[in-house]
This record gives sequence, C-alpha cells and structure tokens, in this order.
Amino acid sequence: MSKRRNWFCGSEEHRISRRSFLSTAAATAGSMSALNLLREPTLAEELKKQDKRVILLWLAGGASQLETWDPKPGSLTGGPFAAIPTSVPGIHISELMPKMARRMEDTAIIRSLNTKDGSHGGGARLMHLGRRDEASVTFPDMGAVLARELGNIDSRVPDNVSFYTATEGRGNAIGQAGFLGARYLPMSLTTNSKPDDLARLESISDLDHRQRHDLRELLSKRFIEYRHSSSLRSHNEAYSRVRGLMSSDKLFDISEEPQSIRDRYGPSLFAEQCLIARRLVEAGTPFVKVSRAWWDSHGQNFETHLELVSELDHVMSTLLDDLKQRGLLENTMVITLAEFERTPKINASLGRDHFASAWSCSLSGCGINGGMVYGATDEDGQTVKDGEIDAGDLFATIYQALGIDPHTEYYVGSRPIPLVHEDASAVKEVIA
Amino acid sequence: MALARPCALLMRLLFSTLTITFFVSNGTSATHGSELLPEDRSIAEVVDHYISARLKKYEIEASPPANDANVLRRTTLDLVGRIPTSSETASYLADTDEFKRQNLIDRLIGSPAFVRHQVNEFDALLMPYDKNSLREYLLPAFTENRPWDQMFQEMMLGREDDPEQKGALQFVKSRVGDIDRLTNDVSVTFFGVNVSCAQCHDHPDVFEWSQDRFYGMKSFFNRTFENGGFIGERDYGLVSYQTTDGETREAQLMFLTGKVLKEPEVAEPDDEAKKEEKKTLEALKKKKQAPPTPSFSRREQLVEIALKSSENNYFAKAIVNRVWNRFFGYGLVMPLDQMHPANESSHPELLEWLSRDLVQHNYDLTRLVRGIVSSEAYCRSSNWTGDSRPDPDMFAVGSVRPLTPFQYATLLRVATANPDSFGDDQKTEDVQSRLASLENAARGFAREIEHPGAEFQVGVAEALLFSNNERVRNELLRESNDTLIGKLKKIDDVNELISVATLSIWNRLPEPEEKAALVAYLQNRSDRRDEAIVQMVWAMLTSSECRFNY
Repeated sequence: MSKRRNWFCGSEEHRISRRSFLSTAAATAGSMSALNLLREPTLAEELKKQDKRVILLWLAGGASQLETWDPKPGSLTGGPFAAIPTSVPGIHISELMPKMARRMEDTAIIRSLNTKDGSHGGGARLMHLGRRDEASVTFPDMGAVLARELGNIDSRVPDNVSFYTATEGRGNAIGQAGFLGARYLPMSLTTNSKPDDLARLESISDLDHRQRHDLRELLSKRFIEYRHSSSLRSHNEAYSRVRGLMSSDKLFDISEEPQSIRDRYGPSLFAEQCLIARRLVEAGTPFVKVSRAWWDSHGQNFETHLELVSELDHVMSTLLDDLKQRGLLENTMVITLAEFERTPKINASLGRDHFASAWSCSLSGCGINGGMVYGATDEDGQTVKDGEIDAGDLFATIYQALGIDPHTEYYVGSRPIPLVHEDASAVKEVIA
Repeated sequence: MALARPCALLMRLLFSTLTITFFVSNGTSATHGSELLPEDRSIAEVVDHYISARLKKYEIEASPPANDANVLRRTTLDLVGRIPTSSETASYLADTDEFKRQNLIDRLIGSPAFVRHQVNEFDALLMPYDKNSLREYLLPAFTENRPWDQMFQEMMLGREDDPEQKGALQFVKSRVGDIDRLTNDVSVTFFGVNVSCAQCHDHPDVFEWSQDRFYGMKSFFNRTFENGGFIGERDYGLVSYQTTDGETREAQLMFLTGKVLKEPEVAEPDDEAKKEEKKTLEALKKKKQAPPTPSFSRREQLVEIALKSSENNYFAKAIVNRVWNRFFGYGLVMPLDQMHPANESSHPELLEWLSRDLVQHNYDLTRLVRGIVSSEAYCRSSNWTGDSRPDPDMFAVGSVRPLTPFQYATLLRVATANPDSFGDDQKTEDVQSRLASLENAARGFAREIEHPGAEFQVGVAEALLFSNNERVRNELLRESNDTLIGKLKKIDDVNELISVATLSIWNRLPEPEEKAALVAYLQNRSDRRDEAIVQMVWAMLTSSECRFNY
C-alpha cells in the first residue's frame, strides 16, 4: 500500500469516494468531522470553552541545539559549554540554561527533528505552515489555524498576535492566513510593541467614534437584510470587533504591570514582549508569537549563544513561572522553535552553519507530558538516531496536545484539506 | 462520465481543424442530447435562454431586475472599475431612451478606463500574490483588444528581442525558478485544470488527472531556464518521476487531454558539451543577450496543441468560465480550476456555446464581456425576499461580490471628491482626466486592502485601518474645495445635503427610512455640525453597501 498522500485532490467525486472510504472506517475514526470554513464547527466550539492558548517563542535565524536542548560536551562538535543536570533525573541541557534546568517538569524536549530544508526562507515557511507549499493552495500558518480553532468569533481581544521587531529574517517569518481568510491574519507588530490603528485618533471624540460605528451598523443592517454572502458577513463582523479590540489597547501597555513583575522579566525587548504575550493570553488571546532575532551565528557562535541563550533562559523561565503562578500554564502551551538549527561542525570562524537534519525544539505547559526528552541524535549530533519526526509530525503533536484532531479536515470549496499533511502523526509520548 | 464521453467526442469533431480562428459549424452541434442554439444568436440572448431554461426546470422564479441605479453602479464597477459619479447617476436615472442600458455599456466599453480595468483584472488573474506585474504588456494588448489566444502565445513564447513581447514573458519569468509551479499555474490559469495533486499519484476517479498528465505537462517547461534575466530553452532534458508503486518513469510530452506529442530524439550532451554550454551562457549573460533559440521548442508545442484543441477546448472554456465568474461571482464550473469531465458545468450547453462563439470570433474578450453584461441574467436584483435562497449556480439572484482593492480604493476617491467637478457643466475630457487621476491616486490605498480570493473574509486589520488610521481622515475625510466634505459643509438644507451625500457615495437617492436616520444623526449633533457631517460620510463609506458590488 502506498502511503496516504492524496490529501490534496479535491474533486467532488474524490471527496465523496474518500469520505465513503472514511465512513467505512468511521467506527474507529470518529473524528473526521468536516470543518466547513463558513460554519462554526461544533467541535471547535467545545474546544474554545476550554480556553487554550499558545505562545510561540520564535528563535529566528536558527538557534543552536548544541547550546540549548541537545548539548554534546566532550565530543568533537560539542563546543566549549558543558551540559548540566536538570530537575528531572537523566535529562541534561546546556549550562547556558541553568534556570530552565531547575524547571524541567513542565517541559518536553524534542531532539529528533529532521526537516531537510536548510534555507532561511524555506525553513521558516515550513516551520510556520507545518508542511510544504503546494501549488494553488495557500495554507494557513499555525497562528491562523489556532486563532480559528481556539478563538471566539466576536472576541474583544485580538486572536493572533505576532511580534517581530528585528529586521533580520522578518520577511521569512510569515503571517499567512491562506484559505482561512484575512480574518485570521496576525495583528503584526514590527516597529514597536503597540499595534497600529488600535488607538483612537485625537481628532475624534470617543463618543463620536462610538456613535459613528452605530450609524455604520444601522446602515449596513438595512443593506444586508435580504442579501447574503460570507464575505459580507465577515465585513460587518470585522467592524463589530473594532471597539472591543480598541479596549485591548492596554494589554500592550506593560506600564500597567506592577514594577516587581516587570523587573522579573527584565528590561530587554524580548522580555517585554513576552510579558505582553502573557497579558494577552491571560485576557483570552489564543495565539501569540514572540520573535527573537538573530541567531544566525555563522561566526562567533559561542559568544552569540552566550548572550542569546542566557536571555532566552531567563525570559522563558520567568514566563513559565508567571503563567504557572496565575494558573495559566495548564491552558497555555509555550513552544520554542526556529526554522532550523545549527551544524555540529564548527567552522573556521568559530561559527555553526545552517542545519536541518537533526535538531531540537521544546514544548511546555498545556497538554504536554513535561519532564521528558523525545528522540535522540547520534554522539556528534549529525543525524537523528531515534524518533525522527518532521514538521508535520511536530504540528500534529501540538494540535493533538491542544485537543485538536490534526487530521480534521477543512473544506476549501469541495477540497478536503487536513490540518497537517496526511503522512504526519502526533508524537504520543510527548502528549500528557 | 457517460455524458462526458459524447461531449469529448464532439469537441474532437468540432476542433479538428488546425486553425484557431475559424471553423465551420454545420448546426449539428448536439451535446448532452440536445442541440446548441444557432451561432448567429446574440450572446445575451443565449445566456438568458439557458439560464431561464434551468430555472424553469427546477421551478425557481428568479429575483426581479435590479433598479436602474443598481444596474448603473454594477455595470460601471464591472466595466471600468469605479462607481458612477452623481452626475452620471442623475442623467442615467432621467434617461428615457429604451436602449439606455445598451448605450451605457457601449459608452463604458468604449472608454479608456475599460482598458485600464481589464488590465487590472487580468494582471490579478495572471500574477496573483506576485510583486511582479504584467501591466506593461497588458496595457497595449488590451488597448488594441488583442485576441486571447495571441496573448497566451506571447506569454508563453514572447521573443526577448521584440520590445512588444518582452514584457509578456514575465509570466514565465517570475515562475521559472519553480517548474512545478510554472506547470501548475499554466494549467490552472489557462486551462482551468489543477493537476498538482497528480504530482504524487493518479487521481482515483478522474481519469484525466494522472501522474503522466502532470509530468507530461511539466515536460513542456522542464527545458526552460533563466539566464541573466532572459528566458531560454534547452534542446535536451527529460522529466522522470516515481509512480506511487515506486517505479521510475520517463515522462512523455503529453497535454492535459492525454494527447502525446512526438518530438525529435535527442541525446543528453556529455560533460564537455555541457561545460561549453555553460561558458556560452555566461558570455551571453555578460553581454546582456538572450540565450539562443532551441531547434525544437517544447513550449511552442504546448501553445500549438493547446490552441489546436483537437481533443477538447480547455483553453476557450477556461477563459469563458473565468470571465463569467468575474461578472456573476460564481463560475459555470466551480471551482474554477476543476474543469474536467467528472465535474460538470451547471449549464454545459451555455459554456459550450460561449466557447464556440469565442473561438469563432477570434478570441475577442471584449465581445464576450459585452455579451454577458448585456444579458438580463446579469441585471437581477441581489435582494432575495423569498423563502429558500436558490443555489448560486442557478444565477437566480444578483451576486454580492467584495470589491477588489483597486475598485474599493477608486470608489473611495471618486465618492469623496467634490461632485461638482464631475458636473454636466464640465467638459467631458476634463471629467475623464479627473477620474483617471483619481484612479491613479487610489493605487496607494489599494495596497492596504486585501485582494479577495475564493471565500474571501474581511480582516479586522481593514476595519481598524478605516476606524483609526490617520490616512483615512487626511485623505478621504479632508475638507477643501475639491472634496465632498467641503461641498457638504456648505449646504444648508439638510435634505439636500443628504441627497448629495448618498448620490455621491451610494450612487442613489436615500430611501425614506435612511433619510430619517441620517437627518436625525445630523440634527442630534447640530452643536458640532461639521464634525457630524464628517462622521456621517465615514459611516456611509465603510458601510457594506460601499464595500461590495451588489
């Protein structure tokens, strides 16, 4: 039998034959409910009640697995940093992460990603979409999928927020809603930590601003009464969210936080944006991506990592503590991920180059079986020797851990498109 | 499938001549067991005949014709990409000529704005999500109403040394880095067939979608490459692929219909020859010259077979279906890229007739557009007051379509300009050039708006932009002599003020309830009348009526 690869084909006939094939297997696979894009699915509604959230820490440019989650001290490729034991017996991580080492209980490390694409652009697309591009289907990225699956249609807070204030690699870290539609595009913050167009202009009073929205709605209501189209509906939904979203303005303002909390996170931009991310998920935003650039250490890899990993260690551990103390970690998953990571081989400039064949990421919190390592690389870290997974498998794992069946299908027109490519399967060991 | 077979056979008969511009139909064009209407009927008549026949069959009563103001707005947006001015609206409403709609269509199609709008629409079709544009090529092509088959030929084969055709190659050039994408984009755009799934496996039900079709199509492009910004084509190179059973096969030069083309046998050059070739190409790159033309061009073969259409006229049907979709918001075959025998058209005879007509009339797209918008079906009201709304493929109700970025941005400019500048007392040329410059000025704003794809959803970013961005306030809600706001503030009589506003923005007079609501809005804010006018205009500009073509 060939592997299931026919997920793309979508003639009506195919859909029917495929679905009848599935229905014969439906007794066991009862999860194949169709997600019609234009209808609010019941399944997703149930999930939303559980208030699940994701914060993605995007290590743009490619952090080094050897200086973070998969150290190889003493080997030819190991570099100068040692490995230290963690609070979970048997798990060692880089000595650059002492704070995370004391908090391994909630975190699972995956050391066996083989994603094959060592280019910044291609790798970043792959690790945002969880799959390769296909001609003529524009897939949604993880943020858009989660905004749709976990968000509320009339939410007063933004449901997909993306921070990327550095310029290096920003163009690669796509925000793409694809066939889900612009409704799920991220609110994108690239110049500062406050979104555009969220605050009222001074030239209009709050009263007039509100009342003109009411007038707009009244006029539109007359128009749509006997007319029908899904994009017509989305137009009015978008406007009806404006006032609510404007009131979330304060979520982006960390001066609202007690000084003690701000001090704990620290003064870096990455830290501040992680604090905003916590404010957002606390208020109900389902997906926040905080990008930290630039990890592309072709030269001076060890200096770069000494600085960046130390910051990551501090900010990530503070974020996990903060979420935990607020009872949010149970419902919030924190992911560290990059487009690829770095070659075990140390080059002549004491750097490490692009490497997508055997690298690591971490998952913490919601739905995750913490305190464990999944997969392993060989002694030099050149290849995956155990538990190899690809981007699709990782995405399937993330979705499954959040309670979303990764093989649920979207229907784009009549084409069935599952959340992850059909060969992908979730890593059960990682899921709580 | 049983029905599709005779259809394919018929097409084989119909298109068996080599010529692409001419063939003789003997009136026995039976398809699906019935005869096609004669070819001398008008397009509009034929459209209405087949649409009505299906409505009758399903016992559906179509919605009534839209009113004059609605028809004027829809037609103007569709043909020239903007809304009518208040002066055009007033004169159309006052016109009593029984041929006024036909005159309107003639006037719009005859204007330079029609060409510009065609260019916008086709650029979006050919270069979606692409920073590159085909505008430079499309503008002269649509100005002279170049036949679509010729445009296809130029886009595939444009000669680098011909300044008029050079720009046409942009279609290939911007995709040449990814031959799979080039293959699929050509198949989808020009033939309405999405073969990409056949990359991995044969389609289980649709015999047309097999792996050998995809790799056969890919073979037309696999020798195409870029050298220093020029497109070239090699004389050698084969496509091989792995079947789902793991067998490695060499692809044949095969068109979507399964037709295999013969080609001269070529031997793969040895390393020495390849080295030599590389050297030559490097030298040409330095001299900024195009690579030599191949002795046998596979791309040329594609154009020939596609236009010969001896097996099926995918090429003509695909463009008819796209153009239809543009004016009705729903294709005769849906989805647009799934034109294969197992996915029947809602109106097969109509699609057949329109394709035949297009081929017979030299692939004249303007003729097709004119015919479609002249039909009664095109003019139905988009209001449905009945119980159950008919399926969109019945074309019983006017569609509601989101405006393209160009249309919405231009609408905003035209609506917020001082209506006096388009008045009857102005010279026609002046009005035309004013409208053209507003259209130009709209380009900046258009970039802020998402291009609507299938199942388009308006994002919250758009609503936030219009609610809180300075640009909206400064560019659209500005007060000066040349703006609508400037004009409105000078009108004392509230009834007149509202009429001027609705005519300019909605291209119609207000209904009594609307008028009452707007009067109340202004009167409640008489302490800040100027500000109230600005906010009323904002609410009208952002209303759904303004954002959609209905």
